[in-house]
Parts: sequence; structure tokens; C-alpha cells
Amino acid sequence: MNLSDRRVEGPSLRELVRAIAYEANRTVGGGLVSIELLRRRFTASGWLDAASHGVFIAVSRFTPGTVVLAYVVMLGWRFHRWRGALPALAAASVPASLIVLGLAATLAQIDGYAAVRALLAVGILVAGVLVLGSAWHLIRPYLGEKHLRIRALVVGLVALTLVLLGATPVRVLLAAAVVSIAIPFPDSTGGTPEGAPYARK
Amino acid sequence: MNVPLIYLLLLKATMTSFAGMGSLPQIRQDFVETHQAISDEQLSQAVLVGRATIGPMGAYVVAVGYFAGGWPGAIAGWLAMITPALVAIPILTLIQRWLHLRRIRAAVDGVIIASAVLLVGSGAALAIDAVQQLIRLKS
Repeated sequence: MNLSDRRVEGPSLRELVRAIAYEANRTVGGGLVSIELLRRRFTASGWLDAASHGVFIAVSRFTPGTVVLAYVVMLGWRFHRWRGALPALAAASVPASLIVLGLAATLAQIDGYAAVRALLAVGILVAGVLVLGSAWHLIRPYLGEKHLRIRALVVGLVALTLVLLGATPVRVLLAAAVVSIAIPFPDSTGGTPEGAPYARK
Repeated sequence: MNVPLIYLLLLKATMTSFAGMGSLPQIRQDFVETHQAISDEQLSQAVLVGRATIGPMGAYVVAVGYFAGGWPGAIAGWLAMITPALVAIPILTLIQRWLHLRRIRAAVDGVIIASAVLLVGSGAALAIDAVQQLIRLKS
């Protein structure tokens, strides 16, 4: 699978919208959890590989606004261009927005009950574990060859240091990009993980 | 507060943030302090509803729009939430064109690795928050 400009084989528009509507709107904990659920669904169906997912994550991190919405726009664009991007965006955002609106309109004090708070806490705990799993899937392709491990280690340490110093995510990402550029590639390799989509075919 | 203004103010907040709740400081400044369209209590309620609801946390801007301008305001909030996502397409297109350049590939590698580090932080924060909530409920 590659990230070239042409569309790639994947789900039909209906399958795409159904999958996004389901995976993006079935858990609390925010968009990062939804992205992990989307990754699992799309990779299990053979529609997305790890490298493409990594690039989508990178772009969505640099896109203003809500990360998961940028991610689903790219999923829709990848398979059906604008015909897929706009319905994907609606599928990921409308159900949650309607629920938010309903709760705001009725001024429901949803956290007034201990049972509701406990359920939410358990849901958020599961969400946290899913997000940690997502981090593992992103970093795993960089643990193969030695030069990739070195890149991951150096860039990861820089990013971690900046996070601990309180830098904003955008600054962390920019610094990581600069540091990664400064690390030379071995001449014999493209310097990217196995199966990476970077070489246009 | 008129609907186009609600849209523009919320769009300003969402276009200058890079995470669901990242727009909160700007929204508070514009809606609570400058225009006094909503109260701090309403903003807290919007955040609470957004956090407790399935899907993206950024959906709380829909509630902010609703409190500021009723149903039309809520639609403006939804539009302000989804508009920035469309920027992803030109960014992706540019990256696709430049990915044959080693420096661009290296930059993308760096961003992916740093994203993993940021995800570890977010995941750990969520898990710790949940455990603390459960401990408070038990005591």
C-alpha cells in the first residue's frame, strides 16, 4: 500500500462511513482513543497499513483543531477524495455533537451520580490503555533496524525532555522533526521502516 | 450574539489549537471575558459535557455555541469544530509530493516518533485521572 496521489482500493463509501461513525463515536476519552479503534478496524480489514497510519497521525498532529477529525478526513480522502472526506467528517462529528447538544440543552448534571462517575472513570481507564497501545503501534516499526532504533531513541529522548519541560505539543513535534532531519541516514537505506509508504510508486 | 460572530470566534479558537481542549483558553477569553456571551459556569458545563460524551472532546464547542446563540449557535459551533480538519488534505498532499526527499522523510519520522511520546503522556494522564477518580469514589 502506498500514499501516492491516486486513490487506493478500500471500503465502499457506505462501508467507510459506517466504520467511522461506529469507531469514532463509541468511547469516552477523546479522539486519540477513537483513532486507535479506527486503526484496528481499518488494518484488520486490510484497508490501511502501519506506515500509512503513521503518516496520517503525523499530519493530523500538525493540523489545527481536533486530531481525530483530521485523521478521518484523510481516511475519507484516501479512498474516495472529497466524496469520502466530507461524509467521513460528518460521521465522526455529528453523533457526538448531537449528544453534547442534548446534554447541554437539558442541562443534565450527568456527573451527579456516583454510579455514573464510576462508569466514566472505568471508561477513561480503558481509554488510557488504548492510547498507550496506540503509542506502541506507532513506535514499533522503528524498533527493527539499528539506524531506526537510534533515530527513535534520540528523537524520543528529545521529545520526552521537552514534554517534561512543559513544551507545547506543536513545539515538541517541530523540535522532533528538526532533530530527525539532523540525524544522517545510512547510504544503503531509505531510512524508513519496512513497508513505509514514502517511496512513490 | 449573532451566529456569524459565534462561528468566527470559535473558528479562531479551533484554528489556533492542536488538540480537543486546546481551544479552551481562547474561548474563555472571547466568550466569557470580552463579549460576556456565556458565564464561567456555562463554560465549565460545556467542558464537562464534552469530556463525558463519546467521541472527540473538541465537541464541547458545540455546547459553547449553544449557550451563546441557541440552536443556530450550536450549528456554528459544529462548523467551527469541523472546518480546521479540512486543512489536513492540503498538508497531506504536500507531504505526498515531497516524501521522496530524505529530509522530509526524516521530518515525518521525527513527528511520528514524537507523536508516540506524546501519546504515552496522554494515555498515562488518562489512566492516572481515572484511578484517582475511582479512589475518590471509594473513599
